[in-house]
Amino acid sequence: MTHVNQASHTPKPRPGTFQGRTFAPANDDELSEVINRAFDYRGDVTITLDDGSAIEGYLSNRDARARTIEFFPRDGDMKRIAYASVRSITFSGQDTADGKSWENWMAKKADQRKAEADRLRQEAIARGEL
Amino acid sequence: MAVPLSQVWTVTSYVLKQKLLGRRRYPLVLMLEPLFRCNLACAGCGKIQYPDHILNKRLSPEQCWAAADECGAPMVSIPGGEPLIHSEIDQIVAGLVARKKYVYLCTNALLLNRKIDLFKPSPFLSFSIHMDGLKDDHDTAVCRDGTYEIAVEAIRETVKRGFRVTTNTTLFEGADPVRVRAFFNEMMALGVEGLMVSPGYSYDKAPDQQSFLKRERTTQLFSKILERRDRSWRFNLSPNFLEFLQGKVEYDCTPWGNPTYNIFGWQKPCYLLQDGYCKSFKELMESTEWQNYGHESGNPKCQDCMVHCGFEPTSVDDTFGSVRGFARTVKSVLTYGG
Repeated sequence: MTHVNQASHTPKPRPGTFQGRTFAPANDDELSEVINRAFDYRGDVTITLDDGSAIEGYLSNRDARARTIEFFPRDGDMKRIAYASVRSITFSGQDTADGKSWENWMAKKADQRKAEADRLRQEAIARGEL
Repeated sequence: MAVPLSQVWTVTSYVLKQKLLGRRRYPLVLMLEPLFRCNLACAGCGKIQYPDHILNKRLSPEQCWAAADECGAPMVSIPGGEPLIHSEIDQIVAGLVARKKYVYLCTNALLLNRKIDLFKPSPFLSFSIHMDGLKDDHDTAVCRDGTYEIAVEAIRETVKRGFRVTTNTTLFEGADPVRVRAFFNEMMALGVEGLMVSPGYSYDKAPDQQSFLKRERTTQLFSKILERRDRSWRFNLSPNFLEFLQGKVEYDCTPWGNPTYNIFGWQKPCYLLQDGYCKSFKELMESTEWQNYGHESGNPKCQDCMVHCGFEPTSVDDTFGSVRGFARTVKSVLTYGG
């Protein structure tokens, strides 16, 4: 599958996710694969169609038998798009399942525990116990 | 009994009717997700990771009622997202109650005291409050300090107003059986009708991937929690499901038992996995390749799952579908009182 350089407006690629990458499938198998990846992706994607137009939104479903995509544009109602009209897909939105919220929370809790330990230490020193 | 007799009778007669009609696959609880937006971002939740424009979408009351009619299950659980964020949640609930559906409105309770006046007590309506343990355990699991105290206050107020209230607890790796037992005591002391408890499902999209329970650890944990259990505990779960969680009985998943409807349509195959969406409930039931799901299928995504939305329907079906299952249920009710 052809991996095209990221577009200027897309977020920086993140290791372990497709965020920021563009795929231009060369055949039907590659097309199905990139559509499945976009379906699993928890961010917006930009689909470039064969007429050269581009549409950004969330790919919510795909039907491999009917060869259609269900797609929620950022500012409109759901559209069905034929597989055959897809030229490339850019993972243009932030991957909302990148795990950062949990890391941030644990870091905050660790900071709080450290601050509490420091406070207790200072209190113990003040009481002459350390 | 934790559950009112009218609800027991409705569910029993519904299941027996399905059996008499020879229906092998039937829904028990509709999982209705009217929105994905939440006011928390819990570590073990894989439901809310969407772009903003998707989080801003809502099912209308009419769509919710149509889904309940189409599905036909006697119970409707409304998770999300946080349902109380939906500006028409009171209408959605009222319409479902008018259809005599037993509604479980799942909420983290952060908005409950502010919105409680929108609802009327009814035997058809239960608030299912998300509580993942004692104060520190709960606040850590939901990634926000202070939520436990708000939820406890909301439980007190909601019970005082005459509503049915249950708690809904998800347990993860590292849960301490002693603390969980103390938590159950605290919740029963608040006057809740019953406890719901389940191991968490290992969502690919959840922020914390380290804390999901493997199958063997799940049965070890639940055996410790439920051994010599306090007779005051009331569970809003089938006794057979509690036996399953302790590894005392083997079940496979019933993925069609809790069908899920949300802004994308009918979710294939279950509440937890997202392999695609169908336009109708009929299409979901007829087009899903059910043999590819559940522990026995070998599907790796199903191997460690022991979550109530897949195994509670199996447990209920076993109660009415086998002498052993029925006998196990009767024995449990006689031993523990429900």
